[in-house]
Amino acid sequence: MDVHTNQNVPSVLIVDADIVSRHAIADYLRGCGYAVVEAASTEEALIALREPRLSIDIALIAVVETETKNYFELASWIRSNFPDVKVKLAVNINRAAQSAAELCDDGPHLERPYDPEMVVDFIKRLRAGA
Amino acid sequence: MNLNTKQPRQQVTRSDRLYILVIEDELLIRTMLCEALRQEGYAVIEASNADDALGILAVIVPDLIVTDVRMPGSLDGTQLLAKLRKTNSTLPVIVTSGHLQHLADRTNDHTHFLSKPYTFETLINIVRRELRG
Repeated sequence: MDVHTNQNVPSVLIVDADIVSRHAIADYLRGCGYAVVEAASTEEALIALREPRLSIDIALIAVVETETKNYFELASWIRSNFPDVKVKLAVNINRAAQSAAELCDDGPHLERPYDPEMVVDFIKRLRAGA
Repeated sequence: MNLNTKQPRQQVTRSDRLYILVIEDELLIRTMLCEALRQEGYAVIEASNADDALGILAVIVPDLIVTDVRMPGSLDGTQLLAKLRKTNSTLPVIVTSGHLQHLADRTNDHTHFLSKPYTFETLINIVRRELRG
């Protein structure tokens, strides 16, 4: 079974250990027309990249401060082993939202579903309410 | 890119869609299941373990939860269910596992136990039934 019904839609792999920000960024990118695969860890990211049915085109990696080395190693590993996969590294949620917005500009839909700063505000509001 | 560009946009808030939280540690199963649910029109939140699920449950109450039993982390699916039921006795929960024989008789109005392997169609039918009522 293919995971994505429309094979012409580019697939974005989001690697982010924080479920709140991962969900918000993933939702945003789906709104831009991308097929999105969510990985909660570098280990899950490797599984996704090696799975031909997921056919990852772009990896958006949100670097976790405490595991910086792992995430930079993942980016390097992807560039070496999957040179066709475009890698975007984001060191905080603002950068992740900005990277997502830049992907939207090149994405299947012509318009962004909403401003990327709304994603950041949404995440902050959710965290404040936790 | 100009982040300050002001254009009419929809608000990033909980939408009118029904929210389903899926907790599954196997990435491919989780991705396929969530995709199938999204195609049904549901908003889906993906969690890879119960700890992540508790993190999102602290900020968003979904309309339904689908959870695996055997997962890494501090809680398995049945422990998560027990914890959830202390504060919410009516939220529909579908528990999936390959080792459910001993749990099957615990299915009740709001908790379903679904044995693996299951078809997405079976699970989606339960979701539809639960969320219609």
